[in-house]
Amino acid sequence: MEELQDASIHHMTAKVIAAIKNTKCYEPIYKELQRLVCSPNVDTHDMRNTLEDAIKGAGLETEIRNIVYNLVRSRLTKTDDKGLTHKQTSKPTVSDPLGYLKRAGVLWDRRVRKSLNAMCTELKVPLHGQPRISADREDFMAKWNELSNYNMDLANYRPVYAPKDLLEVLLSLKGPAKTTENTDQIPQWEFSHIALPVKNLFELRGHYADLLRSDSYLGVPDLTVQCQRILEGRHAPMCQQFLKKGCTPAPYRGALWASVLDSKLHDYDIDYWHKLRNAVWTTDHIVDKLVFKDIQLTASNDDQYFVFEDVLYQVLLCFSRDTDIGSCVDYETFPVKGKTYEGPPSGVVPFHGICMFAAPFCYLYDSPVNLYYTFRAFYIRYCHRLTTINTHPQGIVSLCLLFEKLLQTYEPQLWSHFRELQIQPLRVVFKWLMRAFSGHLPPDQLLVLWDLILGFDSLEILPLFAIIILSFRKESIMQVASLDNIEAILADLSSIKVLPLVQLALSRD
Amino acid sequence: MSVVWDLGNWTPAWRLDSHQTTFRSSGTAHTMYGRQAGGANQAGVSNSTTTSGGNSGAGGGQGHDKMKIGFCTDLDKSVLVNNFEKRGWHQVNGDDDWHFYWAGVQTCRNIFSVDSGYRMHDNQMINHFPNHYELSRKDLLVKNIKRYRKDLERDGNPLAEKTESNNSSGTRYLYLDFVPTTFVLPADYNMFVEEYRKFPLSTWIMKPCGKSQGAGIFLINKLSKLKKWSREAKGPFHPQIAKESYVISRYIDNPLLIGGKKFDLRLYVLVASFRPLKAYLFKQGFCRFCTVKYDTSVTELDNMYVHLTNVSVQKHGGEYNTLHGGKWSVQNLALYLEGTRGKEVTDRLFGAISWLIVHSLRAVAPVMASDRHCFECYGYDIIIDNALKPWLVEVNASPSLTSTTVNDRILKYKLIDNILSVVLPPDGVPDVRWNKVPSADALGNFELLIDEELAAQDEQHQNSSNNAHTKTSKMGSRWK
Repeated sequence: MEELQDASIHHMTAKVIAAIKNTKCYEPIYKELQRLVCSPNVDTHDMRNTLEDAIKGAGLETEIRNIVYNLVRSRLTKTDDKGLTHKQTSKPTVSDPLGYLKRAGVLWDRRVRKSLNAMCTELKVPLHGQPRISADREDFMAKWNELSNYNMDLANYRPVYAPKDLLEVLLSLKGPAKTTENTDQIPQWEFSHIALPVKNLFELRGHYADLLRSDSYLGVPDLTVQCQRILEGRHAPMCQQFLKKGCTPAPYRGALWASVLDSKLHDYDIDYWHKLRNAVWTTDHIVDKLVFKDIQLTASNDDQYFVFEDVLYQVLLCFSRDTDIGSCVDYETFPVKGKTYEGPPSGVVPFHGICMFAAPFCYLYDSPVNLYYTFRAFYIRYCHRLTTINTHPQGIVSLCLLFEKLLQTYEPQLWSHFRELQIQPLRVVFKWLMRAFSGHLPPDQLLVLWDLILGFDSLEILPLFAIIILSFRKESIMQVASLDNIEAILADLSSIKVLPLVQLALSRD
Repeated sequence: MSVVWDLGNWTPAWRLDSHQTTFRSSGTAHTMYGRQAGGANQAGVSNSTTTSGGNSGAGGGQGHDKMKIGFCTDLDKSVLVNNFEKRGWHQVNGDDDWHFYWAGVQTCRNIFSVDSGYRMHDNQMINHFPNHYELSRKDLLVKNIKRYRKDLERDGNPLAEKTESNNSSGTRYLYLDFVPTTFVLPADYNMFVEEYRKFPLSTWIMKPCGKSQGAGIFLINKLSKLKKWSREAKGPFHPQIAKESYVISRYIDNPLLIGGKKFDLRLYVLVASFRPLKAYLFKQGFCRFCTVKYDTSVTELDNMYVHLTNVSVQKHGGEYNTLHGGKWSVQNLALYLEGTRGKEVTDRLFGAISWLIVHSLRAVAPVMASDRHCFECYGYDIIIDNALKPWLVEVNASPSLTSTTVNDRILKYKLIDNILSVVLPPDGVPDVRWNKVPSADALGNFELLIDEELAAQDEQHQNSSNNAHTKTSKMGSRWK
């Protein structure tokens, strides 16, 4: 047994080491290590101990620990799914019970790209972009900090897709027919037929147990002092633990998020940002228009975010050129016949509202480059699962299913109310889920909600919180009988306070 | 140190201190959960415009039984009329027996003028002080502040402490330096020229004393331009300019920019009484943004859209957005500043803003006709520079009640509702004999800036219990 454990540790170590070598931080760390080896403190006769001390002394140990933590959290798990999804590790075949979902994911992605290609054809612009003519390039560079003053004709551009489009596809998902069931008795509900495992409230309470603990870390009652000490310690897991409290002091949120998402700036990051910026300056790409269009349709009109319009242009334009994103995001794979279409350099086709994923970060970071890397990491780890059809336990399908099951189990009155009105409850909350509430909750509360996403490393808080809001406004919803009226009741979330509501929902018996 | 002994116990709590909301302390959640909290003050639920504001509505009902309250307004604004009618008041003419008058400044002047012979009875209230212009006229405000500083200095008050100015132009007040250097033209022309020569590169802004909403404002960066203006003004074509006096102020050329854009703050301050001073700050102020990028180059000097943040000016700019109207909440400003600059500097800024308001009010308090029938809601315009120092630009005695956006409407409705509940006694019937100490509930979104009466009582109390200096030192640390 011990041997097996040893072997597994060795296997893991080998994987981690191999993975570290592929990261951008490997070279600087290696150089730093070489410098340490040559330092007078390291004794050739006692290499092991003295070098270890030197590594600790230089703070390199914490850095390496954080890298390992992040690799284990993200890239290493990309191939072998963890925990709940053991069943899915098998190779995608047609007999896979979730095969139809994976297939839908691939088809959705293809459809989105196809739309983009069609738009290119229609407007006679090349998908790969074209060099900007020098006058345009100079104009673009001159207005880089005030792109709201950069004029272009966007009349012919429209968002490739909006939350509604994805919702329609999700609602039309059909699993393999189950002949044994009597369809008259089983309500034709949208997702209950999907065989994805989701938590129940009891399990959610277990997952979010730390939210109800009132103990203070480090024996210091003051949150600010706790926070400062944790940041001084630089341990990413500690930062993550702190976010679970849901009461992050605003001045430290940016640093905590960057630490948890491993997005602290390195020199090579700044270089890469400049590279992306140059790519935007030199090539004119159709996604630029879509980015401009999206910001003008959403953030520019939003009274919480309009002041950051120009920052968002920069961030999302660079985002569109970032080829690293494509390699970090794992898409569903399933053998599907037919043509494949190319996407933009980043692989992410801008959709209606994509800039709202980046907008909340404007309250955390003053400089676009800081903002960029934390936003990008957040997008890769969480947001992309909300806009693609996938079998991931935190993918949009699972979240919708979780929402549906929670509503059915814990708000049966509301559930039957919706059924009587023949309104699919998901229609009411889908935009919240797909945008992770950005643009719906006021920024101060949204940031608390996202603290919880990062702290508990899960998007499951989204459907849970959607249920909480429905439950909070239940009396009013019960009194109205149309989708429009229900939406009117739920339109203004400005009075919603995230933490007390979530705590209450989790603590109720 | 007794620098702040007289400030009362106000706290700048307009920040959304979400990190202090813990499960146990969040009493609101318990009562709110599961029901649509109709009248809860903090919870403006989905359709806030139609929900009734808790206590005040009840007050109106009570008053209705005892006395039919007649209101009168010169402004046909729905945010006013809806609020009055919600309280069960009925509209009357100015000639009738009114109890509550929301008047324009001219009506107010007429009512208070000796000639009118009008004498208000105990159950009447009006929304202006007779000589509000001591605060709202740009020249008088500056005059009053200058006099206030001199008086304090003469009395050896530590508040009037001076310090060497960093640009070697002599001294400036350490704690009372909150209005940009300003002169009245033509009266102070020579003094202005002297100051101008000290800083020949600075830009100055000219404003007519009596106008508002950005009318007649222009920028000057050369003395010759002022001379030219002066010559033209004396000419036959502009007789009205010659009569009018102007103020010329140092232009804040290093404003704090957010998203590259310039903005100013509009805060609402309610004064229930000047002697003793009782003032409240509305927590839902907002930042007004320029729609055009800030650019100091000379070619842009004449583009007033860049420099003036008044909505009435911005509305004519090509890029005015009707969904948000260029307005961004003070809460969001605080959240942004805390997130990007830190809590300490943000707290210091908001503390300095409260300080500025209190002292501008104290500066005019001695000359204000303190009539117990009056209250007034002022629109404070403040610019923040890039060192996060707030500057008082001007005070408006009739801030616009026009709503530019949906949120604006909700805000102004709430503002009027809260004003009424602060200035009216608990039974909702105007009464000058009331001690003007509203309950915590009645404050709504207002927070107490200063109540000299309460502060004096506190002090007395503390003196008797012999621990007076603890509070003083606590307050003192705020300003160091």
